[in-house]
Amino acid sequence: MRRLPVYLLLDTSGSMRGEPIESVKVGLESMVASLRQDPFALESVYISIITFDRDVKQLLPLTALEHLQLPEIVTPESGPTHLGAALEMLCQKVDSEVKLSSADEKGDWMPLLFIMTDGKPSDLQKYNQMIPQVRNRNFAGIIACAAGVKADTQPLLALTNQVYSLDTTDSSTFRQFFKWVSASVSVGNRSVGASNDIALPPPPPEIHTVI
Amino acid sequence: MNFNDIVPYLDPADKEESLKEFFGREDIKSFLSEKWKEYTDTEVTLPKDTDEQPLSVQPEEIQTVTNPETPVDMPFIPSIPDDEETRARYQSLFSETRHEMFSRKLKGTHIQFQNGKVNQPYQMLLDVMDLGMPEVGRLEFIGLNEIGLNFNPETCLVEGIPTTSGDFKIKLQCYLQDWKEGDPVFEKPVTLIINPDPRALWNSIPTPEDIPYYKPDSDCKYVKIGRTKGFLGMGAENRKDMVAASQRGRSHAHEGKPRDDDFSIIHNDNTEWYTAIVADGAGSAEYSRKGSEIACRTVSEVCDTHLTKYSKEIDELIKDFDRDNSDSKRKKLGDALYNILGSAVFKAYKNIEQEAVGNDAQLKDYSTTLLVALSKKYKFGWFVATFWVGDGGIGIYNKETGYLKIMGEPDGGDFAGQTRFLTMGEVMQPTEIYKRLRFEIVEDFTALVLMTDGVTDPKFETDSNLQKPEKWDALWKDITSKVELTDDNEASAQQLLKWLDFWSPGNHDDRTIAIIY
Repeated sequence: MRRLPVYLLLDTSGSMRGEPIESVKVGLESMVASLRQDPFALESVYISIITFDRDVKQLLPLTALEHLQLPEIVTPESGPTHLGAALEMLCQKVDSEVKLSSADEKGDWMPLLFIMTDGKPSDLQKYNQMIPQVRNRNFAGIIACAAGVKADTQPLLALTNQVYSLDTTDSSTFRQFFKWVSASVSVGNRSVGASNDIALPPPPPEIHTVI
Repeated sequence: MNFNDIVPYLDPADKEESLKEFFGREDIKSFLSEKWKEYTDTEVTLPKDTDEQPLSVQPEEIQTVTNPETPVDMPFIPSIPDDEETRARYQSLFSETRHEMFSRKLKGTHIQFQNGKVNQPYQMLLDVMDLGMPEVGRLEFIGLNEIGLNFNPETCLVEGIPTTSGDFKIKLQCYLQDWKEGDPVFEKPVTLIINPDPRALWNSIPTPEDIPYYKPDSDCKYVKIGRTKGFLGMGAENRKDMVAASQRGRSHAHEGKPRDDDFSIIHNDNTEWYTAIVADGAGSAEYSRKGSEIACRTVSEVCDTHLTKYSKEIDELIKDFDRDNSDSKRKKLGDALYNILGSAVFKAYKNIEQEAVGNDAQLKDYSTTLLVALSKKYKFGWFVATFWVGDGGIGIYNKETGYLKIMGEPDGGDFAGQTRFLTMGEVMQPTEIYKRLRFEIVEDFTALVLMTDGVTDPKFETDSNLQKPEKWDALWKDITSKVELTDDNEASAQQLLKWLDFWSPGNHDDRTIAIIY
């Protein structure tokens, strides 16, 4: 059974408190619901959720879509955005959770990574240190989303060339974003092979491509 | 006792001194001791009309302390009386907090249904003890019946076979122990997720015929090779036949995308060479369906031409090799095969390249794997030569003797779907081509099988399983239970195609298989 690991890194810093994080939850729910309707995803997609604020937590270890129940996501009152530390945890988790092919074991599909932040990394030095580490993990695609006006796309561009921005952090925008994520995951299921880049479906109008 | 006499002693200015003096007076001393004597001699009785009189306390139960220094009687707090009225009054207070406490506890208790799947038996244990709520006497669920489930209070199991998919809000109702009419029922919404049956989600959309390089969504072929003529009908014997089938995978059918796999099986009646080829176009490459087709066709044609042209020479080399299995004979035969099979493979690469240039596309858009087997029967046995690039598998299998020879190694990467393709420049280096050539002489075989990874992934799962005879036994049993692989049975092509539609979770790639049997 080949698994498609999907890692979601979600910003839960203080600024996400309130409507933004509620919108993210709604978006996540609709994403999971729509992936469940995709027969290939239902059998192969595994999702992990890592949240980052002052603390970095893996709220959901890599779990089969079939058995997945979304965890409660909470945000602190305020505090920094430790995206660098989140990438560090991500690398650890990928190392321990993603299976490589061996004579006796079928490897997973190359994992996908989605990052959503509404700010910029407070631990910039660590963030920059982690970038080559993340690259080494052979993600089939890294899609970064800068949500809201305060989000800084520059650090994200250092990590991946697939950076998208959302003007607002309301529920309809997040719903669009996660819908697109689920479409990308569905595509990611099939397009691995001859080339290492996955061809993403075009983003909806709410999502702008950052070049 | 004259109180006026005392007043001066109570002057606030030097109370301490004066009081000392006062109690030192002889008349006061004698007065007090007289009073004290009077007091201790009297029977103690309770004051009759105090406001503090608690409930209906029996006087004789009151304990008193006689303290010489504080001449006041101190009744202890009486124990709670054990009568109906008092109990009723306390009970209501107590149960109110009990309800509040439970309500809070229920709110804080994480109750989760495991996810279910449509048409698959569901069972989950919900025991109040495990949930840490021993005060619950009975549980009920509202909303389970609608989705085909029910709760069995005897076994504490939620069970049944879900009929519909979706996220359902189930209402959990808790009745506490000793529940009676009028008592509150505690409710908690719990989400139950029922996944759809993946089999029901697959669409099968025919590939539009107007796309470039259209090819049918499935294909199958049977090559019937009749009995040898023998001498005047004497000594005629059956000869092995060839069958192949290729089926578009569900993941492609779901989106109306074309089949990327291809195959070719031919038998040359003059040279008596069998050629079987399967190819798997990369799912991510736009025109890989054409790449696999060109590869199959080219290799088949070139091999046939060469094998016809050099038929005698090859026969001699093979016979030589059979007689003398030395390195030098092996090298000679290997070189000859390199010139035939290797050049056919290289020609396929060139043809694909030419097609890509002509179509203004890149070579990698035509990425395909390639598995080729050439075989011919001699008096001393069967000669088999193979070339293999990519995943999938080629195996010579003998059911009777348990002999199994895998003709190479699957090209895999660290991750699923990573493999090598014919269209990769590094694969077309002479040493690399030579390395991928294998040949073997075997006495006989039940089947020579070539498969793309659409078949090997679900049937063998791992590279090491591909080497296990028991896995091949299982595969052969599975195939022959559905496909009548008897001599000259042309109907087996359709049966084999149908067999390819087997269900295996997560394995929905194109599937192609070719068998010489």
